[in-house]
Amino acid sequence: MWRNIFKKDIRMLVSGRFFLMSLGFLVLYTLYVNFGYVKFMNARLYNVYLYDPDKTQTTVSASVQRVSSKETLDAILLDDTNGVGIDAGTGTPRLIFYETTENADRHRADYALSLLQPSGHYSAKIIGTNTPKQKARKEITCELLFFEIAAVGFLGIAAVLFKEKNMGVIRVHAILPLRKNLFILSKLAIFLLSDLVFAILLTALNVGMRDTASILPAVLFQTTLLSLIMALTGLICALLLKDFRQFTLAYLLIAVFVATPVFLSANTAIKPDWIRFHPFYHIYMGLKNAYFGTPMNSPGCCLGCLAAIAVLFAGVQCAFRREMRKEG
Amino acid sequence: MIAVKDLTFSYGRDKQALHGLDFTVEDGEIFGFLGPNGSGKSTTQKILTGILKGHGGRVSLFGQDISAAHTRAFFQKIGVLFEFPYLYANLSVIDNLKYFSSFYPKAQIRGIEEVLTELEFKPDFLKKPVSSYSKGMRQRASMARALISNPRLLFLDEPTSGLDPSGAVLFRKIIEKERQKGTTVFLTTHNMLDADLLCDRVAFISNGKIMALDTPKNLKEQNSNHRVVIDYLYQGLREEKTLEAPELAAGLPFAHDEIISIHSQEPTLEDMFIKYTGRGLS
Repeated sequence: MWRNIFKKDIRMLVSGRFFLMSLGFLVLYTLYVNFGYVKFMNARLYNVYLYDPDKTQTTVSASVQRVSSKETLDAILLDDTNGVGIDAGTGTPRLIFYETTENADRHRADYALSLLQPSGHYSAKIIGTNTPKQKARKEITCELLFFEIAAVGFLGIAAVLFKEKNMGVIRVHAILPLRKNLFILSKLAIFLLSDLVFAILLTALNVGMRDTASILPAVLFQTTLLSLIMALTGLICALLLKDFRQFTLAYLLIAVFVATPVFLSANTAIKPDWIRFHPFYHIYMGLKNAYFGTPMNSPGCCLGCLAAIAVLFAGVQCAFRREMRKEG
Repeated sequence: MIAVKDLTFSYGRDKQALHGLDFTVEDGEIFGFLGPNGSGKSTTQKILTGILKGHGGRVSLFGQDISAAHTRAFFQKIGVLFEFPYLYANLSVIDNLKYFSSFYPKAQIRGIEEVLTELEFKPDFLKKPVSSYSKGMRQRASMARALISNPRLLFLDEPTSGLDPSGAVLFRKIIEKERQKGTTVFLTTHNMLDADLLCDRVAFISNGKIMALDTPKNLKEQNSNHRVVIDYLYQGLREEKTLEAPELAAGLPFAHDEIISIHSQEPTLEDMFIKYTGRGLS
């Protein structure tokens, strides 16, 4: 019996081009990671130019370009406005920027000065086994997987259910000899399977086969939690909201209030105090930890996720029964 | 088949929809449930089909109390035609019927082609998606869905809605044929002609109460003024006379050259409905 519902749901998704869309996103993400993001992260940060007529700087990096006069240095900086100039004409290095702001450009200043002592005594201690390139690949793959499940998958499941709701067929299932839960479980199973396959392919294509094998179980576990939570949220929204227009608003709110603070807190130094109360922050960090092979979330966090899934499932059942009772 | 005693139901605290309904439906009977919008027809049907829970009073179906009746076996025995043709619009009628019939035991289901032929479904549309069908075609596909499982109890909500006159005649024939097979039919409709032609008994429901319940014939006879109006020609002039029915026993008691028409003044079912409920069927 469940096979018939499962087959029908697959047909609905195929006719709605959901799988095609997922495949498209997979290709797009992979191209972006391999030909865009990684190359961008490898790019030289800024050009550094040095005017040092008396050769006072003896340990200068090969990345530094020497210039013959102060006038040339000024002319180059007028042209390469993002570059950093070092005037060592007086013996003491003095930094020159085309334009700058005191706080934001400290990074450029530190970088330029570091090139004067490339083998200096400030080398960072290396922890973990990830190369910077691999670290960048894992970070971006994790972000893209989170976005795919939280936004694209959520939209997909809601779109399918909105179609069935508008066709009125949910009401027909109320009088069919079948366990009503199968109607919901079938959709959850398809979306979960689809998300898991997506996670495997995205990770294998962008992190590499060798690393994927070791992190995959943890990644799939976190993907399962996120996928079920998002699919159930999508089902509730589709059952409770009147039409797709209202849903789009809910989608926007979720995108703004879920994704933005989570990404900011997890990937930058901006970390508001309240973020620890944001459930998706913990889910995202669980996924990120899985990619970096660090221990999984605390048992409390896992239990919280499972409780959320149970509550959402009960909510979906209520909303589903309500929909079945509706007039035509 | 169906026994309802003192059935009550409320949507929330102050919204009582049903106020103690009493009726029975016999095996193989076509029972008409007539009432205006918001009268409690759909609520009653939803309780009987197990969609709504939390009613008061006693209801039994197939000889079983309703609380125990709504099992998988129960849903295998019923067929429901909804007021609107609910179908998968992206699938063809054949795929819809394959899907919906897949939940019933194989031995129970009828052949898809046989049902569609009986419903005079246009062969050109068999493999086209439902979204390309006319309203009448969708109604036929929906009726096919209700009939495909060979139900013993059939709930029909406005079965002839959206059909042209020949389609409506065909549907009435099919419903009559179902009755001859022994199927019990619970018919909810606004269409007085359907009710009059098909139903063994009808119940008029208004504001959650049954106002009258009898055969259409009895309801009309009990409220008839037993008069006939006769149009006739006499000496080149057209005239009209109203007679009490007993006056006809000894023949026409007036001179005439030619009878043009005789109309009984028996009320229609709609007249009866308005009389018992005080409301039209809007």
